[in-house]
Amino acid sequence: MSSGTIQDPREEAALAQPALATPPMSLPRRILGEMLGRWGARLGMIWIGGMFLLAVFSPFIANSHPYLLILKDGSWSSPLLRHLTPQDVILLVALFMFIVMWFMRRTPLGRKIQIYFITLAVVALISFIFVRPPGLIVYEKYRELSSAGEVSFVLNAPIPYSPHDRLRDIKDARLAAPTTEHWMGTDNFSADLMSKLIHATRIALAVGFIATGIAVVIGIIIGGIMGYFAGAMDLLGMRLVEMFEAIPTLFLLIAIAAVIPERNIYIMMTIIGLTGWTGYARFVRAEFLKLRHQDFVLAAKACGLPLHSILFKHMLPNGVAPVLVGASFGIAGAILLESTLSFLGLGLGPGEPSWGQLLNQTLGAGGRYLWIIVYPGLAIFLTVFAYNLIGESLRDAIDPHTKRIKRQGG
Amino acid sequence: MATYVLRRILLFIPTLLGITVLVFAVMAITPGGVGKAVVNMQGEMNPQERKQLEDYLNRRYGLDKPIYVQYLRWLNRVSPIGVSYDEKGQSQGFGIKWPDLGTSFIKQRPVIDLIGEMLPITLLLNLLALPLVYTIAIGTGIYASHFRGKAFDTISGFVLLALWCLPTIWVGIMLIYFFANDDMLHWFPTGDLHDITATTMPFMPAATEQGFQRGWLLDYFWHLVLPLVCLTYGGFAYLSKLTRSAMLENSSSDFVRTARAKGVAARDVLFRHTFRNSLLPLITVAAHILPSLLGGSIIVESIFQINGMGRLMIEAAFLKDYEIIMSVTLVASVLVLVSYLIADLGYAIADPRVSYE
Repeated sequence: MSSGTIQDPREEAALAQPALATPPMSLPRRILGEMLGRWGARLGMIWIGGMFLLAVFSPFIANSHPYLLILKDGSWSSPLLRHLTPQDVILLVALFMFIVMWFMRRTPLGRKIQIYFITLAVVALISFIFVRPPGLIVYEKYRELSSAGEVSFVLNAPIPYSPHDRLRDIKDARLAAPTTEHWMGTDNFSADLMSKLIHATRIALAVGFIATGIAVVIGIIIGGIMGYFAGAMDLLGMRLVEMFEAIPTLFLLIAIAAVIPERNIYIMMTIIGLTGWTGYARFVRAEFLKLRHQDFVLAAKACGLPLHSILFKHMLPNGVAPVLVGASFGIAGAILLESTLSFLGLGLGPGEPSWGQLLNQTLGAGGRYLWIIVYPGLAIFLTVFAYNLIGESLRDAIDPHTKRIKRQGG
Repeated sequence: MATYVLRRILLFIPTLLGITVLVFAVMAITPGGVGKAVVNMQGEMNPQERKQLEDYLNRRYGLDKPIYVQYLRWLNRVSPIGVSYDEKGQSQGFGIKWPDLGTSFIKQRPVIDLIGEMLPITLLLNLLALPLVYTIAIGTGIYASHFRGKAFDTISGFVLLALWCLPTIWVGIMLIYFFANDDMLHWFPTGDLHDITATTMPFMPAATEQGFQRGWLLDYFWHLVLPLVCLTYGGFAYLSKLTRSAMLENSSSDFVRTARAKGVAARDVLFRHTFRNSLLPLITVAAHILPSLLGGSIIVESIFQINGMGRLMIEAAFLKDYEIIMSVTLVASVLVLVSYLIADLGYAIADPRVSYE
């Protein structure tokens, strides 16, 4: 959405005002500024940013494999780097690229996004071919080596336990209360809870973003077609929307989860995305119905532009605002759905680091272990809350109605 | 308005058919299709049982037929209008019949009986939750809009958003931990809807020589407290935000200004002019929070071990009992669809301005 596509007469009027002290800003930039001026959005951004850092660096924060291991016989190795998975590498590169892009001020946004995704795709391909962690992982090895006195130097991760490390060599490790060793205790599978929570940020954020991404894309395509063509197409499309809205989402998700032979994180993202697009379709339809008779759309049509260009290059930037607001609420919803499904036992398998799956364990454990109840629940709550705070601020920043109320001074 | 009502009812039919297609498709597109039930239960069956199950599925769906024939056969079975068959498979002619939702293999009973037992429990939970949600939400919403921008408004806005974000799964477990636990406060029971001794209790609470007896009815409500708390808090958080914004929108509109200008008492402006008009969106929302209430009852029923439709669904999903999954999803969707229809019609009656485009 660059400044060139702004067609709203209000915007043109605002841009034409010579009295502005600052140079005229593009609409997205102004909305972003106004949103970040609200403390709710700031708090939300800080929390989500922290979650992102935890997600990217989780293998470096909580890992049974030490950074550096020097044995008595002088041989040295870095088990942590050796055990990095392709996903870890891709996430690190993604973060690094994001920082680089942030400082490339001159390049236009569209170009940046293009470069970003092409590089990521190449990196993904390379790392899936060349990064091969060992198939057999023995977590206890390092603890046994050091207790046998064969280690001369070891540099551990801050939390020296992996989420899948079941601490088989440690006595009474199952469902242990928080101690100085395990700051948040251990869970039903004897794994360190804090390590699991940190690794679970990945699942939560990935489900939130990818499921919502899928839903938004489907919603924009269906809603765009409905709104642009109106008439019979609209009538048909709205029946489809109503169908999906009438089936309670959780029922549909459980039905799908029950029939698919194997559930993993990617399937969870897909099915949550496939069932959640109706709201976005409604938003886009409503906007496009308003836009379709405006001059710039008629002009684009008269120029003989192809349909996808009219829909997505010319109309979409003008109707995307409510979708973005909906998406930030949608991410929160997707995270809640994933944790609910995992909690009900129909999401990720037992032992996987997922917040909902951790809460599920408290049912099996008789509901008596406060630390397994409090920490994962708090993590879900705060993340969902953060996204909703951002969504509310974004909505208030976009909605001219609330702005007017504010200016009147209550 | 008559056109609106007629059109609304006519549009109801294709949506309903679409839902049946969708529900059937979920079962049919998976590898193996509907007949997979046989494969799944293979391990626990002797050849005779297996044959019986195969025959049953074949009779019901016609597994050797193309997929659309399977769908049409299934649709005919589950719809209350269609061709009915007697025991021997002879057609009894087209007409109104009792829908046949199939047989559950985990319970060895007709699915319609199971749903008939469990639907009332789920509906009771939801119908008790709705008025609770509305009373609290409308009160808070009016109060917040009246003191717009003041401390109450800001704080209630923040608290309500937080309540809305609280995951039901977490709240349920926390409630059990703190209020139904011997180590903490054991004020409420941990689950189910009745005490074990409930059948021997008198119906009403009574004071006898052994002291106070709570009776069947009070015992029932005592068991309902925690599930209802779990089911309502999210809804009223959402609704009171909606009430507040509807009140604010109306209070800056022309008719309210006119009412103020001609000297109507502030109280009357608030309740007779602003509030009555703000009620309109709340009518539609009553139907639209039903899907989330039904979804919420899945969670609540499985945390508090209540034998309702949600728990039936979860059990069926674990044991891959496809007939139950299909039927329960279908029944839930039809419930929601009908409530949408009622809400739309109610809206048209309440607001004479409504027309179809």
